[in-house]
Amino acid sequence: MDTARRVRVRPVKKEKIQGQADRSLIFIVLFLVVFGLIMIYSASAYSAVRAGRKANYYLMSQLRATLLGLLAMAGISKVDYHVLKKFAWPAYFVSLVLIALVLTPLGMTINGARRWLNLGLSLQPAEVAKVGVIVFFSAYVCGNLKRVQHLRGIIKTIILAAVPALMVYSITDNLSSAIIIFAIVYIMLFIASPKSAPYIILAAVLVTIAMLIVYVIAHNIIPAELSYRLGRIKAWLDPEAYASNRGFQTLQALYSIGSGGVLGKGLGQSTQKLGFVPEAQNDMIFSIICEELGMFGALAVILLFIMLIYHLLMIATNAPDLFGSLLVTGVMTHFALQVVLNIAVVTNTLLNTGITLPFISYGGSSSVFLLTEIGIALSVSRSIRMG
Amino acid sequence: MAGNKQRKFTSSMQKKLVVLFFLVLLAFAYLIIRIANINRDNGEAYKKQVLAQQSYDSTTLPFKRGSIEDRNGTVLAYSEKVYNLIVDSKLLNVDDGIHVEPTLDILQKSFAELDISDVRNYVEKNPGASYKKYLKQLESNRIENYNAMIDEAISANSVRRDELRKEGRTEEADAIADPAKNGVWFEEEYKRKYPYNTLACDVLGFVQTGNEGQYGLEEYYNDTLNGINGRSYGYLNADGTLTRTVKEADDGYTLVTSLDTNIQSITEKHIKEFAEKNRNAYRTGPAADNIGVIIMNPNNGEVLAMAGYPVFDLNDPQDMEGVDLTQYAGLLSRSDLAEAVGVSVNEVSGNEIDLMELVTNESLSDNAIIKNAVWKNYCISDTYEPGSTMKPFTVAAAIDSASIRGDEVYVCNGALEIGEHTIHCHNRFGDGPLSVKQGIAKSCNVVLMDVAFAMGKQEWLRYNRNFGFGNYTGIDLAGESNGASNVFTEKMGQTDLAVASFGQGFNVSMIQMAAGFSALINGGRYYEPHLVTRVVNSEGAVVKEYEPKEIKQIISSDVSDEVRDDCNAVVMSEPEDCTGWTARPAGYTMGGKTGTAEKLPRAAKNYVISFMGYVPADDPEVLCYVVIDHPNHEDQSNSTRLATTLCKDIMTEVLPYLNIFPTVELTDEEREELSDAEAGFFIGSDAVSGNAISANAVSGNSVSENSISENEIYTPNVIQYDPGTGFPLDPNTGEILDPKTLLPIDENVKSDLEY
Repeated sequence: MDTARRVRVRPVKKEKIQGQADRSLIFIVLFLVVFGLIMIYSASAYSAVRAGRKANYYLMSQLRATLLGLLAMAGISKVDYHVLKKFAWPAYFVSLVLIALVLTPLGMTINGARRWLNLGLSLQPAEVAKVGVIVFFSAYVCGNLKRVQHLRGIIKTIILAAVPALMVYSITDNLSSAIIIFAIVYIMLFIASPKSAPYIILAAVLVTIAMLIVYVIAHNIIPAELSYRLGRIKAWLDPEAYASNRGFQTLQALYSIGSGGVLGKGLGQSTQKLGFVPEAQNDMIFSIICEELGMFGALAVILLFIMLIYHLLMIATNAPDLFGSLLVTGVMTHFALQVVLNIAVVTNTLLNTGITLPFISYGGSSSVFLLTEIGIALSVSRSIRMG
Repeated sequence: MAGNKQRKFTSSMQKKLVVLFFLVLLAFAYLIIRIANINRDNGEAYKKQVLAQQSYDSTTLPFKRGSIEDRNGTVLAYSEKVYNLIVDSKLLNVDDGIHVEPTLDILQKSFAELDISDVRNYVEKNPGASYKKYLKQLESNRIENYNAMIDEAISANSVRRDELRKEGRTEEADAIADPAKNGVWFEEEYKRKYPYNTLACDVLGFVQTGNEGQYGLEEYYNDTLNGINGRSYGYLNADGTLTRTVKEADDGYTLVTSLDTNIQSITEKHIKEFAEKNRNAYRTGPAADNIGVIIMNPNNGEVLAMAGYPVFDLNDPQDMEGVDLTQYAGLLSRSDLAEAVGVSVNEVSGNEIDLMELVTNESLSDNAIIKNAVWKNYCISDTYEPGSTMKPFTVAAAIDSASIRGDEVYVCNGALEIGEHTIHCHNRFGDGPLSVKQGIAKSCNVVLMDVAFAMGKQEWLRYNRNFGFGNYTGIDLAGESNGASNVFTEKMGQTDLAVASFGQGFNVSMIQMAAGFSALINGGRYYEPHLVTRVVNSEGAVVKEYEPKEIKQIISSDVSDEVRDDCNAVVMSEPEDCTGWTARPAGYTMGGKTGTAEKLPRAAKNYVISFMGYVPADDPEVLCYVVIDHPNHEDQSNSTRLATTLCKDIMTEVLPYLNIFPTVELTDEEREELSDAEAGFFIGSDAVSGNAISANAVSGNSVSENSISENEIYTPNVIQYDPGTGFPLDPNTGEILDPKTLLPIDENVKSDLEY
């Protein structure tokens, strides 16, 4: 346990003030949040003005959500995370209900997608569901540790995970969030289970199926016209052939990345955000980072996320109990998945599915609940006994 | 605490989580490499692409080339913005071609003349092609209409999509394809238009591609006519707002010329009549090798008309169909001509085939030499020996240099021996004793040689140069020749001086002759011949005004009066005493000089005949110079009548138009002739009436205001004459008017005024 020992060495100072939250983690998160705000302003000012809004429209909106999120983070970090155990089932059901509410008149459509709830503030239930799932399954696996070691238990757990995932997919037409929800649970199960092989085999099977579909589409064995999503596979494989439509966003993002060079054009100097990369402050914000700050900036952002994930890993491995470990494992999985998938999409390594970059992409709900998750992780870190 | 132990995060779990972390690190490493690769492999291309996308917003706004107008504001040349329809197959075919049909559908509706199945076929077969011109020179309203239909379709589609999405039929909504806006675009250009087609073609010149004028005014004033392209581009201002800035094009300047469309039309009409009438008159072939006419104001150098033959359509200068090219066949070498008519060179060298017999318009129409000959302006570009029209110059020089007094009498015996040469007079029997004036009137060579000898070569050369021979006149037309290689120098001998006195042995251009002769008769003042009088910018403000440019006083005003008197005798004497009486338009006083120059080689007995005339005789207001090179006539040396009558025909029609009134009583014969001629004035002529103007006059812009209908040309200038006196009549009251003042004449005074 090389890694574990290292952690033990580092927080020696923490012994003085027991119950101190992981300050490094707080620092990394604050840094990312502020950096995100700057990038959102840079990427969105032009399109905000074009849309008849103030240049700082997106910035202010994100700032409000961020402040709210930081409050939530600070509050939750003070609370003993064991309290969450009591809210496991309510968290699960509240998530389901909120997703279902999108179907009611409370549902809100933005940019042609019906994914939001209008509760005075706009709320994206999929983001709530991600936290809900992490809390619920941490408690569920903790309480049913023996059961989830058998096939029946595993299937039951997977069904429990599939319900919110399928609802997110079918009700809000949001495949990427559904995949992330399902993947978080799947990885939590994998970690908690003493067995590895079945999970690895199943994952390998799923990846193989996905690759087969791509192969089949690429070689025109099945006409891509069958479904819109299949058409997107073609655009992914050859974005230049679909430069004016389905491949447009991807291609423009690639142009941004490629035109950045080593040190970039300088903060605020992107030309691609001027109407070429659609919704530059959103999913594709990483391409603007590459354009303005170059490969150097991109590397710095990735290193920050690696540090973030490493700190979560440390908290998970050192948590005083399984529940705490699983909570932080879920949070860590969530962050790792979103960052890797987002950058993979922006670089056209993976199919464009619409995944945001944590703390940096524009999105109020995402920001609030991601900070909530950090709050949970901080709460766990406070209860790590030193010495 | 077994349960409690179980709820610990076991080391196996920790291991798994650490493995997972390393997998994430691996993924990040891969992505970093991927970003680096994108920069390394495509960095340059993407940088360019990003820049290209930016400049996409910046468009060039082409300037409009200035117009060319005549002295009355009639537009002779102008530029009109037109659009070419371009199909970009590559952009049309994006997204698996889903945009093709919606686009073609709107194309079909907007451009009925477009063969849509042809376009569909092309787009299908050439998915990578990005430039195919389908329709040319469309007018702007059709483009606006097309764009409006596209926008309408796109907004209708978007509404429909929203409806379907609300109903949850997302796939259906996504299936609605918009027309591809970029797949069809319109290339802007200005097209040069000449509303009168062939009118003044040699003077105007033309523009074929771009804004490069060729020949004439278009070439000479190319930079003045051209403007500066504008630009429209977007940039971000301090607030991050995209601001669109348009730097409008600076349109070119308009030229106002001294040309008069009506006089030009009259001139061209008569040249054409002449050319057609005399074709095949004696030998098979054209009426002459070249015909040129210049009409100008001798008092300020303004050119009113300048014409040659044949004419060509300025709107399509390459099209030689209907242009009489046979007169230029002689410009080609024998082998080139053989090739042109499709006879093998061997055949030509073996036999004496008369290639000229085989020449047709079609066989010459693609030849560059021939085209150049058609396009150039004979009046300024060609030089020739002037012949006897030079005689008044010689006399003027002699008197002005005080070499002779002007009242000398010389004896003509029909020839003069100079050294080994015997130089004959036109009348080989000799006219006996002749005054200088009679010598000019009868065009006696012997008298002129004596005058020249009295002056000597130095004086002759000095005046010859002063009159501008061998120099550019400075006329504002491209392609002027100065003839410098064919003028006499100090090396000239006595024989040279002898022949030079009557205009042989050296070359002149028509414009040199006309400008010099103007000085001869206007009091001795040499004006630079000129066409452009004003340069006007696109807002109509005058940018530059060209005042008549008096270069020098060549001869004294007294000498000018005397020479003019001599020249008047050429036309106004009794027919048996002069050579030019056939040039006089009925009712007018006229002076002038005929010319019959023997061409080289002399043995061929080919001639350039000419006539220089001016009206009225005592106070010239208009000068007309006619040159006919190698007339199609049995006896060329006695064919000056062809030139004088052509001059008369033109002047008979031009003078009333210029409001120069007849002052000589008409004979019955003349009256009859005049009324016959008036019947042919404009109406029924090809040049101005009929389709030529109305069909090409452009509707909807300033040009139409200026385009002339035949009535407009004609009516203001109809002059009715009193059959008794030949005096003009008031068009409204029918009263007889004083020809000079144009005021009604009191009946009592009338008798005094009668000639």
